[in-house]
Amino acid sequence: MKLPLDKRAYGPLLVFSLAFIIGFATTRGPRARFEQAIVQLNDAERSALPSLPGVTVANAVWALGSDDAVKNMLRSELDRLPETEGRARARVLVRFGIIDSNPDGQAAVFFQACVSDPSLCERAPLIAAAERETRARLVEPGRHLPLYLLAGHP
Amino acid sequence: MTRARSFGLVWPYLLAVALGSLLGSIALPVLSLVEGSTSTPLARVGFALRENPSASSATWAVLDADLPVVRSSMAAPQREVFDLVVAVRGLDNGGHSDWARAEKICGTLSWPRCDKDALVQLKDLSRP
Repeated sequence: MKLPLDKRAYGPLLVFSLAFIIGFATTRGPRARFEQAIVQLNDAERSALPSLPGVTVANAVWALGSDDAVKNMLRSELDRLPETEGRARARVLVRFGIIDSNPDGQAAVFFQACVSDPSLCERAPLIAAAERETRARLVEPGRHLPLYLLAGHP
Repeated sequence: MTRARSFGLVWPYLLAVALGSLLGSIALPVLSLVEGSTSTPLARVGFALRENPSASSATWAVLDADLPVVRSSMAAPQREVFDLVVAVRGLDNGGHSDWARAEKICGTLSWPRCDKDALVQLKDLSRP
């Protein structure tokens, strides 16, 4: 009776198995550590992870982007973020207020930020939030506090 | 033994090594997809973006298959900005920034500043 597998196939099969195990082990180690690190986060941090690439892109545009790039980014962020994400929407609105050149426009935008995040309805926290954003911007416009926050509404 | 005959003996082993290591390295991602992984490409990339840039190279290497998935989920020009972030954070380079590529991508975006000093600051400022 003839063997179903040729004896000559045993060597390559053994090599295949070893290579498979090495390849599997090589990818399993880092991936398992990665998955474990994510599992260790609390529920809120874990559920926020998928939005972080978008947040990072928005931060990058805010840091270095041109006036038009920033305005386009802020509009798309406001479209993307639901009303329930009050703090994130407020941050976008504060950025909008900073680059808005019109004091009346600034007042309207900062009022919307207050509606989205009531902690920004007081003047001091609003100025502190705006200062954080101006420090995160490396190019003009948007490196200085807007007139509305410096002098109050005319 | 002729050269052709010795090649005939060796090639099944070479094929076995290539096939075995390839299938071994893609087995886990495929299994994760079939069984339902605890994390998605967006979540893993998000995790890498909030982590300390001095994380081990092996951790960053896990992202190699995830970055194209995240990139394809974005529309232009956000996609190009994401490429810029990937370059400054070194997500596809073991956590080592690729400043030359970053400057090139920044140039195509026509942003006001693309010098290395600005890009170094961008590395921290872009962190979520």
